[in-house]
Amino acid sequence: MTDSLAIIRFDGNGRVYGAGDTLSGEYRFNGVLPAQIKAVEVSVLWYSEGKGDEDMAVHEFWRSGPDEGERIDPSRPAQFTTTLPNCPLSYEGLIVKIRWCVRVRAILHRGKDVVAQKSFRLGGVPAVEVSAS
Amino acid sequence: MARNFRYYGKKRGDRRTGSRMLGSVGEMIFYAAFLLLGCVSGAMLFSFIAIPQWRVNNEFVRSTCVVLEKRINETADDDGPQYRPEFRIRYEIDEVTYLAWTYDIHMSHSGSRENAQQILARFAVTEDPNDPIDYYCWYDPTSPEKAVLVRGTSWWIWLVFIVPASFVLIGGGGLIYSVLRWGKSAERRAAMVQHAIQRDLFDANGKTTREFPNVPNGVDITNSPGTTLAYRLPIGASPAWKLLVVLLACVLWNGIVSVFVVIAVGGHLEGHPDWGLSVFLLPFMAVGIALVVFLVRQLMVTTGVGPTTIEISDHPLLPGKQYELLVSQSGRLRVNSLCVSLVCNEQATYRQGTDTRRETRLVHRREIYRREGFEVGRGLPFEARCNLTAPEAAMHSFKADHNEIQWQVVVAGNAAGWGDFQRSFPVILRPAAGNNNT
Repeated sequence: MTDSLAIIRFDGNGRVYGAGDTLSGEYRFNGVLPAQIKAVEVSVLWYSEGKGDEDMAVHEFWRSGPDEGERIDPSRPAQFTTTLPNCPLSYEGLIVKIRWCVRVRAILHRGKDVVAQKSFRLGGVPAVEVSAS
Repeated sequence: MARNFRYYGKKRGDRRTGSRMLGSVGEMIFYAAFLLLGCVSGAMLFSFIAIPQWRVNNEFVRSTCVVLEKRINETADDDGPQYRPEFRIRYEIDEVTYLAWTYDIHMSHSGSRENAQQILARFAVTEDPNDPIDYYCWYDPTSPEKAVLVRGTSWWIWLVFIVPASFVLIGGGGLIYSVLRWGKSAERRAAMVQHAIQRDLFDANGKTTREFPNVPNGVDITNSPGTTLAYRLPIGASPAWKLLVVLLACVLWNGIVSVFVVIAVGGHLEGHPDWGLSVFLLPFMAVGIALVVFLVRQLMVTTGVGPTTIEISDHPLLPGKQYELLVSQSGRLRVNSLCVSLVCNEQATYRQGTDTRRETRLVHRREIYRREGFEVGRGLPFEARCNLTAPEAAMHSFKADHNEIQWQVVVAGNAAGWGDFQRSFPVILRPAAGNNNT
């Protein structure tokens, strides 16, 4: 049995984007058969890390697959594209951190979801240095 | 061999490892049990209280009766003795004579013997059968042996439905919430929430909120015009509120400690001192005295150091832009130092066990004005103008449920005789719209 995994690639291999930029790329799943898939979800989202409980918000969300009346081949690359919002910008603070990512999730009829995410930076806010406090 | 799911997992705040499905099932069972309990208890209360009362008022048939005996029925429960008035009545239905001990349909007891006595006094017992004293009574046409002397609606009866209703609301609401979440990924749930929020944002602030998500719109900052500049910034935490909190803490602490102090002092006065209690109380008394000193000091600072106001030429702040500030300090005092700074704090809220904790970290402080050694006269506030440049590459204001980036203008000073004082004025630093990756 092969391990299931998802692969995400950004167009132009970009990792830093500005507000209003277009983020596009593709994703595919290895080791997942079409018959296994109930639905595929693609999200462009930010989440917080650090001392506080996690906050998360989805900027863009797509769901496709047999569950939605579509037939998909998980091994073939599928495209996604979105215009990034003005904020919140990526942030590396002392106790609050905000990270952006594209997350893909294959929801299977049986077994665990296959999930992968690829991070990117929104904006150019420099990391806070400890000495700043 | 890997397990299919974990039965339990480590948990901090909303983060959870372990079986999500098992957790959801447990949650649904919990809420379903609440709902069932509410429905069953509600139905029982309805059939035992509401329906009998409705039948007495609408279906029972009026007749006349005589009172043969009366008494107070007394029982005892956890609340002490309970009393209920009872009357033995005689009435005739279709030439059949019925005898019954009754009063109202609920036959409930109360804790007041006087009330029961007053009710007894309202009905006279027929002593002479040739001179009967008739009263109305109401009997059940389906079982005429059941009759009451009084009827009517008791509003308080509906209060008992608060308990099952709250169970139904909590259980039903929780169950609907759990069903809606069932089988949905965290992202899908977040997208549904986002969609609902965006659908509701049709007010004037909606455009700003959609354009700059998670950045406070700052309408409460720009709703007060300034006298010289565009806006007067509202103060973050009013000194009066701070004073009230300290006052409450002081009263509560010293109130509790004083009870034990009275006991300890009483022991000393009566000649059998409890030295253990006396020594144990010393640190608590010290804290109480410290609270009183702090309260007096806060009172002096609040009343002695007059109000501080700040006006700003524009708001919200945009990265790299310059703004004019007008700082005003009232009172009658000699100020040793007055410093105005632009400050940024990170604030994180997290749950630890059943506690909700909040931590704040300073990440940016830039002094924008300082003056030392000057007098403020009564009726002639000190005023100073200065320029504030919003940082070019700093994080914008941000607010989510558990994490926050707060920007504020802080006025910190030291006044002769009054000590240090500090007042904060929140501002919003908005990100520049469009490309900002440099």
